[in-house]
Amino acid sequence: MSKRHYAKAAGTLALVGLVVLVLLVWYGTRVPASALDAAGSVAPGDAALIQRGEYVARASDCVACHSLPDSPAFAGGLKMATPLGAIYATNITPDVTAGIGGYSLADFDRAIRHGVAPEGRRLYPAMPYPSYAKLSDEDIRALYAFFMQGVSPVAAANKPSEIPWPLNVRWPIALWNTLFTQPEPFAQQTTQDAVWNRGAYLVQGAGHCGSCHTPRGLAFNEKALNDSGEQFLAGALLDGWYAPSLRNDPNTGLGRWSEADIAQFLKTGRNQHAVVFGSMTEAFNNSTQFLTDADLAAIARYLKSLPGDPQRDGPPWQYQAAEASVFVSAGGHLYETRCASCHGLDGKGQAPWMPPLAGATSAMTAAAESAINISLNGSLRVVAAGVPDAYRMPAFREQLSDLEIAQVLSFVRATWGNQGGEVDAKAVATLRAHTDPASPTPILLHMR
Amino acid sequence: MELRINQKTYQVDAEADTPLLWVIRDDLGLTGTKYGCGLAQCGACSVLVDGNVVRSCVTPVAGVVGREVTTIEAIEVDEVGKRVVAAWVEYQVAQCGYCQSGQVMAATALLKRTPKPNDAQIAAAMVNLCRCGTYNAINAAVHELATDVATLAAPAGEIV
Repeated sequence: MSKRHYAKAAGTLALVGLVVLVLLVWYGTRVPASALDAAGSVAPGDAALIQRGEYVARASDCVACHSLPDSPAFAGGLKMATPLGAIYATNITPDVTAGIGGYSLADFDRAIRHGVAPEGRRLYPAMPYPSYAKLSDEDIRALYAFFMQGVSPVAAANKPSEIPWPLNVRWPIALWNTLFTQPEPFAQQTTQDAVWNRGAYLVQGAGHCGSCHTPRGLAFNEKALNDSGEQFLAGALLDGWYAPSLRNDPNTGLGRWSEADIAQFLKTGRNQHAVVFGSMTEAFNNSTQFLTDADLAAIARYLKSLPGDPQRDGPPWQYQAAEASVFVSAGGHLYETRCASCHGLDGKGQAPWMPPLAGATSAMTAAAESAINISLNGSLRVVAAGVPDAYRMPAFREQLSDLEIAQVLSFVRATWGNQGGEVDAKAVATLRAHTDPASPTPILLHMR
Repeated sequence: MELRINQKTYQVDAEADTPLLWVIRDDLGLTGTKYGCGLAQCGACSVLVDGNVVRSCVTPVAGVVGREVTTIEAIEVDEVGKRVVAAWVEYQVAQCGYCQSGQVMAATALLKRTPKPNDAQIAAAMVNLCRCGTYNAINAAVHELATDVATLAAPAGEIV
């Protein structure tokens, strides 16, 4: 080819590229249709609708991210560190300038179920709109009624994100949405009964359980958004905690839990197997305990229908009594002096107040992060029905070295039939650094 | 609920998850057992349950129903406990005294289970914290008790 031909080909290519780019930007900034575009607004003063909306907000745990401790609810401001820079949760009170007071019902719907702000700007998927997409039109209307009429406006300005240009360009998120989200609301499965369907709706949608419990792919996408995928709620590492499998895995999931155990856990924060800790404490304090008994039973029914994976889970755990001689080892001695008062020399704890470590998922999963994190940093206060718990895991950050924590956890994860395996002092050192409030490399994204 | 404490039976009206320490001190007025950290870290609240030392600040009261609880108030009823207290006096262990009821409980539980503990066993069992730093005196008293018991219990001819 001659030079002229090259120039012509390059020119054509550039033109095609430009057209593609313009189309992509158009696609990534357009305002998508909402199912509620023609629905108008909601009637003012519909107390039943507002009350229902408040319940949906509880089930969705909006307050966990869109509030700061000791500040007005929903006024935003929570910092979320990402590898690209920090972002801040927004003000979702009905203040017209600082909050979402100017949103129409359709605008609100686009933000919640599609992750699109009124001017076409894409939200970061730290907002769990891939899950909220499952919400019904009626629940969106109720949620809108609650936020517009049931929440007091707060004039707290949003903080700009700290992600630098060009990484802060938002339109590519629309492509991510096309690849990794399903825009349709939850569809009833006719092969299942109403209780199961209600549970599926709550787990996949408002509850956004998968945000923490479903493993993510390379693009940080949840590998499954419903039970059609085997990876749905199969356990994932996030925020320095390992959110365990919620499938029927006897060791690392809910296989040994009954439906009543699950409902009790979500209602009271504790049962014979475990007590909420890590990020789940906030989900419990702010959200799950406020659900009705019928909804909790539905969630339990649905979760118990998700099959486990024996290959991933390993041979089912059985309790094995420990010989007195095991407490002679460095880890065993640390356990006897630091842990046994609450968790017992037999590892059985004092359920439901203090959880057993024998058979605990944190002692059975290959990922040791949850065990390390709670040993370093202790547990958050569990507040059930307005009453703080009497017992709390203390933080051993200042008392035990990386090696000592590794030793005691290695002991716990190899005793009483536990199969979690050794903990390396380097892993403790890493998590210690990442969970230090003054750390320059903080834990990634708060996903709640 | 019905509790057995210091060989007496008490009727207690408390939530199942109330710490045993609160029941002992606030409901029953047995204030010899002290509140230290509330987190099972310091041992000031140690009592005996069926002869084993437990930290009553992290023991839900429902867990001791049907079991024998012993607090510092009755420790001298026990032969071993009596000798521990005597050794504590002999060695003038206490300074401010706040942790000492827990220390006596820990020593009593150790000597009841292991009459002749070796240094490692003593170190493993005597882990309660003392803000006055009476550890040396505690150590001396417990070693004396360990030797003392061994001497009494040793068969003739054995060198101890």
